[in-house]
Amino acid sequence: MTSWLRSSEKTLEAVHLPLGHADYATTYRLQRRLHSLRSHGEIVDTVLTVEHNPVFTIGRSGSALNVLAPPEVLQQEGILIYEVERGGNITYHGPGQLVIYPIIDLRDQGHDLHRYIRNLEQAVINFLSEVGVRGRRHPGFPGVWVNSYKIASVGVYVKHWVTRHGLALNIAVDKAHFGMINPCGMEIEVVSLNELIEGPLTLEEVATGLLTKMEPLFGWRFTRANPHKFWEGWQ
Amino acid sequence: MSEVRLPNLGEIDEVTVVDWLKKEGETLKAGEDLLEVETEKTTFVIEAPQAGQLVRIVKKKGERACLDDLLAEIE
Repeated sequence: MTSWLRSSEKTLEAVHLPLGHADYATTYRLQRRLHSLRSHGEIVDTVLTVEHNPVFTIGRSGSALNVLAPPEVLQQEGILIYEVERGGNITYHGPGQLVIYPIIDLRDQGHDLHRYIRNLEQAVINFLSEVGVRGRRHPGFPGVWVNSYKIASVGVYVKHWVTRHGLALNIAVDKAHFGMINPCGMEIEVVSLNELIEGPLTLEEVATGLLTKMEPLFGWRFTRANPHKFWEGWQ
Repeated sequence: MSEVRLPNLGEIDEVTVVDWLKKEGETLKAGEDLLEVETEKTTFVIEAPQAGQLVRIVKKKGERACLDDLLAEIE
């Protein structure tokens, strides 16, 4: 049995919270709140899906030196920069990119950081395969690639074995924005899913398809939360 | 004297110490965040296993560590 498959057959209740379009700072506060609740066992595994306004986020191994564009260009484009606690270097989030933040307890997933990252990648690879795109891993460089182009990035933070941050999959991104940084601190070319398939997919369609692929890998059965009710309760 | 060692984080070869959240000489409470390590684009927080004083940091920021390596000593 390959290492990214679950060893347990137990089904776990999980909630999908589709946030639609939400700004980075608000979603970040939400992640921290949910992380605390999950750590105390007050909520089940919860997976946020969201699309952000343009931002660059710099992880623990990153540096603002990988921002190539001058501040006035960032201001003109409305791009904000956040230093965050996830692993990895610099990355971009923005319109046309599906961001997935699993707030989950890895004690239910074998206490294994490697397996968690492989499972995130595998869900993307399985979803891409279903729409006719061959995604692959690049050993030593976490994420999912199509040929030499990066289509999905990962960056995670784990405390008390509970995760936050997660995965970003390019559906139809503005590549000019990616060109303003050295993604992951390297010269990487990115690709969007809709460049590779005939009929374009919406972020909602991709989110549904991707979460369907996550369910067997993580042993989840998702319940979909109503984001409007959620925001009313949370704000 | 209590030793802080790298716990089993799964099928990984090694981690890099990305930050110490406490300095040598500081007093710690059990369960307080002590350091962050990184592997495969994942930051993992290691907590103080017991209360005491952080007397020695063995693996400094930027250094690599493998399973069960000594990271620090608490007295």
